[in-house]
Amino acid sequence: MSTKEQKERIELLQGTLDLLILRTLLLGPTHGHAIAKAIEFRSDEVLQVEQGSLYPALHRLIKRGWISVEAGTSENNRRAKFYKLSAKGRRQLDVETSKWNKLAGAIARILRPAEPEGES
Amino acid sequence: MRRRKRMLEDLDQDIRDHIERETEDNIGRGMSAEEARRQAFLKFGNVRRVTEETRAVWTRIWLEQILQDIRFALRLLRKSPAFTITVVLTLALGIGATTSIFTLFYDVLLRSLAVANPAELYRLGKEARCCYWGGYSQDSEFSLVSYDLYKHFRDHTQGFAELAAFQASDPLLSVQRSGSVEAAQTYPGEFVSGNYFTMFGVRPYAGRLLTSTDDRPGAPAVAVMSYRLWRQNGSDPSVIGAVFVIDNTPFTIVGITPPNFFGDTLRSDPPDFFLPLNSETLVPEADAGDINQADQYWLDLIGRIQPGAKPASIETDMRVELKQWLRSHWSEISANDRAKFPEQTLFLRPGGSGITSMREEYEHWLQILMMVSAFVLLIVCANVANLMLVRGMQRRREISVSVALGAHAWRLVRQALTESILLSLAGGMAGLVVAFAGTQLILYFAFPSARGSAGIPINASPSMPVLLFAFSASLIAAVVFGIAPAWMTTRVDPIEALRGAGRSTTRTGSLPRKTLVVFQAALSLVLLAASGLLTAALHRLENQRFGFLQEQRTIVTINPGLVGYQPNQFTTLYDRIRDSLSSVPGVSAVAICQYSPLSGNNWATIVWVNGRPAPGPNDENVENMVYWDRVTPGYFDAIGTQIIKGRSISKEDTATSQHVAVVNEAFEHKYFNNENPIGKYFGRPDLGSPRLYEIVGVSQDARYLDFDFDKPIGPFFYLPEAQHDVDPKTGQDSGPGAHHLHDIILVTRPGITVSSAQIRQAMVSVDPRLPITSIRTLGEQVSDQFRQQRLIAQLSSFFGMLSLVLASIGLYGVTGYNVGRRTKEIGVRMALGATPAQAAALTIRGAFALVAIGLGAGFPLALAAGRFLGSQLYGLNPYDPAVVLLAILTLSFSTLVAALVPALHASRISPSEALRAE
Repeated sequence: MSTKEQKERIELLQGTLDLLILRTLLLGPTHGHAIAKAIEFRSDEVLQVEQGSLYPALHRLIKRGWISVEAGTSENNRRAKFYKLSAKGRRQLDVETSKWNKLAGAIARILRPAEPEGES
Repeated sequence: MRRRKRMLEDLDQDIRDHIERETEDNIGRGMSAEEARRQAFLKFGNVRRVTEETRAVWTRIWLEQILQDIRFALRLLRKSPAFTITVVLTLALGIGATTSIFTLFYDVLLRSLAVANPAELYRLGKEARCCYWGGYSQDSEFSLVSYDLYKHFRDHTQGFAELAAFQASDPLLSVQRSGSVEAAQTYPGEFVSGNYFTMFGVRPYAGRLLTSTDDRPGAPAVAVMSYRLWRQNGSDPSVIGAVFVIDNTPFTIVGITPPNFFGDTLRSDPPDFFLPLNSETLVPEADAGDINQADQYWLDLIGRIQPGAKPASIETDMRVELKQWLRSHWSEISANDRAKFPEQTLFLRPGGSGITSMREEYEHWLQILMMVSAFVLLIVCANVANLMLVRGMQRRREISVSVALGAHAWRLVRQALTESILLSLAGGMAGLVVAFAGTQLILYFAFPSARGSAGIPINASPSMPVLLFAFSASLIAAVVFGIAPAWMTTRVDPIEALRGAGRSTTRTGSLPRKTLVVFQAALSLVLLAASGLLTAALHRLENQRFGFLQEQRTIVTINPGLVGYQPNQFTTLYDRIRDSLSSVPGVSAVAICQYSPLSGNNWATIVWVNGRPAPGPNDENVENMVYWDRVTPGYFDAIGTQIIKGRSISKEDTATSQHVAVVNEAFEHKYFNNENPIGKYFGRPDLGSPRLYEIVGVSQDARYLDFDFDKPIGPFFYLPEAQHDVDPKTGQDSGPGAHHLHDIILVTRPGITVSSAQIRQAMVSVDPRLPITSIRTLGEQVSDQFRQQRLIAQLSSFFGMLSLVLASIGLYGVTGYNVGRRTKEIGVRMALGATPAQAAALTIRGAFALVAIGLGAGFPLALAAGRFLGSQLYGLNPYDPAVVLLAILTLSFSTLVAALVPALHASRISPSEALRAE
């Protein structure tokens, strides 16, 4: 039963997805489909999220208290669930963002010197 | 948990909406409807997986896993029904036996009375004492009181909110509903103080209970009936307010007790009528005490203390009050009692369980049974552990595959334990059924409801504590039998197990199983030795020299005091009874006595031999009490006790002739060591004379008392019914009650049985009002005395046999397994010239080696068990070598039987096949 490995992989992916969801909700409450669309659109379609994986992530965020959910109506007057960033989630977004920046910076630093160090 | 439900409720709808929107978007981008939908699904991913993952967010993983374990275990158990049923039934036996004994243990030893706040109740007396005491001193503690002393305590003790008194003995009352045509019947009754029910804080089921107003001299005669009797007679509401004639006195029934109230004492014949203490003067023949005599102690005390009062300080107060009361009666106190005045004291004890005479009586044997059943449960656990180990071996491959696939050891252990617990709980549930049946059976044999009374107020159906006990017993058993097999599973080496393809040659699993067998053998030896000792002790009791004949003797018990005969009418009445019963065909002799042997009652006195100094205060103790009986002429022939010297009591001993006595050999030995006692005189200090009776005969010793079976028969004397003792102070009969002869002995001709109807008819012709309490053979009366001993011997023998069978099965399993494992080795040996007999011997030797270790371990335990049984053995040597030897032989024999089949199997191993099989 290799659940442990799988779990680690999911967590890595999910951490990123969480960050993206939180960042998207910073612009205002919205429903699930719109979040998926926003992520695709804002990343210039680079990040192709498997839309289904959004839902476990949303529920995880609700359980942690980072986002809340309320009923509302969407653009064409259809009933929908609106997800909203909570104060706790806002703080978490800051933490996650700075973590991500550190990580991205660190990886970038590792990758950059690789070229000059080659046979010159 | 509710949040989880709310969150997941419309997850499906959310997903559908999502896909719907995506489809619409796709259509907007110019796709066909069908393509748009397909793309939407593609982009969303596996809907089912998403749903499950989202659910998982809200699920507690351990709970889910436990459910998984349970489902898996159930599936496994269903797959091997034979194994499951065997284990559940074995466990049901073990848990059922233990639970059934615990039910009795709890009800007799632990349960409180069904009254309000039993913790506030305190009773007088460290030990329950029955039932009368006279004079102004009591041995070691004042635990019984007179009415006068009760009032003194009640009026002076501040710490009690309510202090109630009630009769210590349990008289039978003759009861007839006024105007009824049916004959009077006898029921147990009790005289209680007016505040008795108030003190207990119980409410009436119907009508009202007694009050202090009812308990005054001259108050209208009222009584309360038990719920049980009321129900038995059809729950007739007209009973309340109806008049019942109780011992020739009309009483009005004012109410019914609540259903679960059975009085102040747990006993097999709880009272059916509660009468106010002061009505005792209306029914002076009821065998109660005497409410007007300050030095007649016949009452027990229970009080409810004031909230916050300290029992210790109440006790101190009462000790002072006792001394004050004794001083106020100083002029009436005899010199001997005055000498004992300084040491007179009393004790208060928690009284929430009521008067605990039964507790003291049964405590030891319930402890023994509890131990025995716990041992049986242990053996059961060992057997089940053994089965689990075998099962573990069979599942080796499966488990090693799991291990190879990366299963965690902890998860496997948990899986195995889950299986154990499931089995054990199923066993526990089946065990409750066994326990219910077992308890009822034990109650039936231990406390037969005598004299048409309620029977012991113990309910066999499991109460909350019993259920809890069964549940914890199951859980503990599961851990005991499951932990070793569970641990074994983690020690599976995947490679080894897979390579061996189930024919592994490792010794793993063999040692634990052998240990279990040794353990079982040891426990079985203990149980066999214990049950052997108890059975041998019972045998000794039943076959002792009783000093009277049981064959062809019937005892008819009556109560002549109940129907108002006067002292001078008794002799004529007894003559008429004798004549009437003698005329019944088949009856060869009739005699009447106050109490027949082992009927459970006798009067006692201190003896003052003529010519010796009067007994002093130090002589007046229990050891010097001599029991005696009043009998009619012909008694010794009728009961079959031989007269050794002199003559027996005859018709010539009349009211006016010289008062005589027949003494037994023990009496002769104690008081007339080397002299001939015939013609000598003795008397009683309380009657002030050493010359009351002339000894005219010496009889052989006969067993009358229903206690002290481990001691030789003590001194005893017999007085003629026709002669009355006179109290020198009053000039009246000093003990008219002794002339209420209770037991008629009928001797029937060999081979003839006289029916109860014939006896009743003959009695009706004497006096139709005379209530007959019982008719039974003397043999039954004697064997009733050993009912408990018999029951405990039978129960422990049953448990012993059960353990032996279980241990043998365990041994058979292990031996058989070993033969299977060593098939190749035995094959090689036989190829090298070993005979089949040698192969069989090898197997049997192995089995005996295990049992021998078990015997070695069990032997000291068996000796300890003998010590623990102690007083239950009635003088039998607790280390009786014959019994221990017999237990060892029994165990060895069953070892042989258990090893025989595997041994035969071993002797038939064919070398060529054994070698080819590998």
